[in-house]
Amino acid sequence: MQYPDNGGYMVAAYVVAAVVVLVYAVSLFVRLRKASR
Amino acid sequence: MMREKAEALARRGSLLTAVALLALAGVYVRALIFTPIERFQGPAQKIFYVHAPAAWSGLMAFAITGLLSVLYLWLRDRRADLVAAASAEVGLTFSVIMLTTGPLWGKPIWGTWWTWDARLTSTLFIFLLFVGYQVLRGAITDPETRARYCAVIGILGLVLVPFIHMTVYLFRTLHPDPVVLKPGSPSLPGNMLVTLLTSFGVFTLLYLGFLAQRYALGVLRDLNDEEAGRAVS
Amino acid sequence: MRDALRTAWTIAGKDLAIEWRTKTALVSSLTFAVLVLAVLYFARDPTAVGAVDIAPGALWVTFTFAAMIGLNRAFLLERENRAMDGILLAPVSPQAVFFGKLAANLVFVGTVELVSLPVFILFYDVPIVRGLPALVGITAMATLAFVAIGTLLSSMVVRTRFAELMLPLLLLPFLVPPVVGAVQATARILADRPLSEVQGWLKLLAAFDIVFVTISTLLFEATLEE
Repeated sequence: MQYPDNGGYMVAAYVVAAVVVLVYAVSLFVRLRKASR
Repeated sequence: MMREKAEALARRGSLLTAVALLALAGVYVRALIFTPIERFQGPAQKIFYVHAPAAWSGLMAFAITGLLSVLYLWLRDRRADLVAAASAEVGLTFSVIMLTTGPLWGKPIWGTWWTWDARLTSTLFIFLLFVGYQVLRGAITDPETRARYCAVIGILGLVLVPFIHMTVYLFRTLHPDPVVLKPGSPSLPGNMLVTLLTSFGVFTLLYLGFLAQRYALGVLRDLNDEEAGRAVS
Repeated sequence: MRDALRTAWTIAGKDLAIEWRTKTALVSSLTFAVLVLAVLYFARDPTAVGAVDIAPGALWVTFTFAAMIGLNRAFLLERENRAMDGILLAPVSPQAVFFGKLAANLVFVGTVELVSLPVFILFYDVPIVRGLPALVGITAMATLAFVAIGTLLSSMVVRTRFAELMLPLLLLPFLVPPVVGAVQATARILADRPLSEVQGWLKLLAAFDIVFVTISTLLFEATLEE
């Protein structure tokens, strides 16, 4: 391989970021629904 | 703010967030598949396309909380407090992304999970201040007192961060570290630059969408509390 | 102006008189300071780390903890007696009230620092005579910074449920610039470096003091019940 073998870090970071964004987005959607009732 | 307006804002905010999330998926695809791997740093360099925009959004959120805190104390308009609080919560989310992706990037690129440089330390403290803001907010029930107290913290925090930056900078210049720190890429080739800039744009959209939703949520909750209060009395 | 000073003086006097009657917070702060200094002295490998190397950090951790205890005491009193409501009924300026409380807290923390310093010199065997005035100056600047912010935050936090937890949580980020500055400056003074090396840190401390004492004074009014 020409480049260093650190793909694992990349995957971890992208996954963590996506999870945090999605969890927060879902929490917002859910809380808004509850407040609108 | 009337209930209909708040619910309309909530819907528009949700739509914006949904669009931003789709765009984020697009950025992911572009960054992971269609952007070349940097030869010396390897795939881990791509973390930068997520980490830097998240940090930027977190910083922006922090500044907005601080500025709106000033506005609140000056005008005593409840809406300023609600926007400040919304920005604080959204900012906390982005700070978490920043502080988790940061070390994951630092370890392969710099060789260390953490380093006390001016930028990283400042972002750590922005996170801690956001946490403090949330805790304080949760501890006070009266909305007017809560708004005032959170505004105080918001302003204090905003003024503090430049001092933290300066403190670490002074520390660093007098104690040069063997690790050479170059957190930003000096010059990115075209393709990578486009990916980065697109990501910045998407994260800004995401911030705005979240902000609108969270603000609407704050307004609706206030309205619900008021109605509940009236029902009891 | 004279009214403001008189108000501040009265409030400071009241706070200090109440403390002097029982002296509990003062005694516990002092004991705590001595304990912390002792424990930190032993928290190292003596063959690898000299006492003088950890001395600045030990001193400032001690001072900071003492300040926290002092600030805690101040508002516990407040809470028990709801005294603030009484004070506010009088036609006094909030700034004067703030200065009064700040003065009382400074006297408290200053006393603890004054008593801990000889203990520190004794325990850590530091060569301090020539650098003493500079050290006192630095201590004064850093203490002013975190006591001012601490006084402001205390008046907010006193009304919340978990006040004792809330104060450190909110205050600690604000301790970083003054304490780091103080530790760095102290280290150089103990190492007998010329004052010119300490300039950067002194400027930082001074700037921090000016900015945060001003802001705390201005924001104090927002923390009072309306």
